Amino acid sequence: MRALIAAEIYKLLRQGKTYFALAAIFLIEGVILISAYYQGSNIIDILLDNLKQSFYFEGNLLNGNLLIYLILNTLWFHVPLILMIIISGILTSEYKDGTIQTVMLQPVSKWKFLLSKYIVAIIFTLIVVFFLALTSFGLSYSIFGFGDLIVYLDTLNFFSSSEAFYRLSWSFASGAVSMVFFSIVSLTLAVIFKEATKTWIIAAFFLILSNLLLKVDFGNYWVNRLFFVKLNDTWQYLFYTEIDWSGIYWNNLLLIIYSMIFIAFGLYLFNKKDIG
Amino acid sequence: MIRKIILLLSLFLAVTVAAQDIDPDLLTIKQRMDSIEEFRAHLTLDLDVSFINMPTKTADMHYRKDKPVKFSSDDFVLIPKRGLDFSMNELLKYSFITVDRGVVEKDGSVYKVINVIPTDKKADFAIATLLLDTLNQRIVESEINTKKDGSYTLAMQYANTDMILPELVVVSFEITRIKIPLNYMGKGTEVDKEELKLDGPKTGKIILQISNYKIVYSGE
Repeated sequence: MRALIAAEIYKLLRQGKTYFALAAIFLIEGVILISAYYQGSNIIDILLDNLKQSFYFEGNLLNGNLLIYLILNTLWFHVPLILMIIISGILTSEYKDGTIQTVMLQPVSKWKFLLSKYIVAIIFTLIVVFFLALTSFGLSYSIFGFGDLIVYLDTLNFFSSSEAFYRLSWSFASGAVSMVFFSIVSLTLAVIFKEATKTWIIAAFFLILSNLLLKVDFGNYWVNRLFFVKLNDTWQYLFYTEIDWSGIYWNNLLLIIYSMIFIAFGLYLFNKKDIG
Repeated sequence: MIRKIILLLSLFLAVTVAAQDIDPDLLTIKQRMDSIEEFRAHLTLDLDVSFINMPTKTADMHYRKDKPVKFSSDDFVLIPKRGLDFSMNELLKYSFITVDRGVVEKDGSVYKVINVIPTDKKADFAIATLLLDTLNQRIVESEINTKKDGSYTLAMQYANTDMILPELVVVSFEITRIKIPLNYMGKGTEVDKEELKLDGPKTGKIILQISNYKIVYSGE
């Protein structure tokens, strides 16, 4: 199993699109930082326009914490989309190149082969989110400095700099669980569709649908509470004034269970299907 | 004939205005306030607005007579545009008349109520109602109706009977709810249509605790 995981890591690191996709994530981060540097004060001005009638502002809200929060918001769509493309590619490329048949001629069990891909997908996703967090904290604080974080979630919430760091760090951690879920789904979709373009389109569709359904009220408490599309905004819970820790634990636990279900489903399908 | 009528009317108006004396208690308080050349103080601010959650903030303020009040803070602070004129310097800067409204009992004390009506167009308020603590020669409450920024009230508490500047000020003001551009809204943001329909100006409060006064009086 270890050899299989090592081989999968090697393959992932050898494929060019891994680096293109990673570069894309960090390019998005760079664009956010550059645009904020030149236009960020406009966002703050619009946000606080009504308050200007009643208050003077002392201090700077365009700071590292706000920038990290803006980068964090790429977890809604940009980051999971790129991750889904890379992760699904580790299986679709095997189908495309025909290497999967070569591997299957070896004394390798099918489920172990796919499980190693799932494990590598999880490790890779966690590393990407970790580096996204690390670079966003490093760059944002070094360019924009520290200061209070302002977030609009039903109400205008202000957090002190140390409080903001704490919440942003946990938000990245919670977001990582959500990203792992999308990565696993994309690999399961690759098992079903085999072909890269089809898998990418369906993966993107899955992501868009998940985002759209997040706001839909299904009219049933348990569906609204347990359906996986309702769990992918858990990392935003960290920015309400009172943190709902039990909600965060349960949602992440449910996402982990859903991820395991998708892995089990992928393994079942892969074992059942013929290679080719 | 018309000239005589105009002359009589002018005389009548002049006599009426002259009769509107400025309240002597207010004048005493104003003189006491005017003796403050400058002061420095430490502020603790708590904001109480339904749609804003902000932790307690601190700032330092520096007041100098006839100069804008200066603030400094390490944090981001929302400082109310109205209500920090503890010296009532702005309120009583231009010519005005007062109208005695009797007395009112509040928290076991009796206060004199007067209306302050500016007679100079440059004044930015239309009318102010002041509660005067005539015993300790200071203002304990004021409701100020501005020409442009709505009305606001100040309720002041003092550390002791000698103190002229308050240790606690509660500023109540009207504030319109924030209209956030859609593209800034997080996906977790709920839009309550019913609430938006009912949306009018909200009342907000800011509670200021003022400490470490360093007051410089004129002639010092």
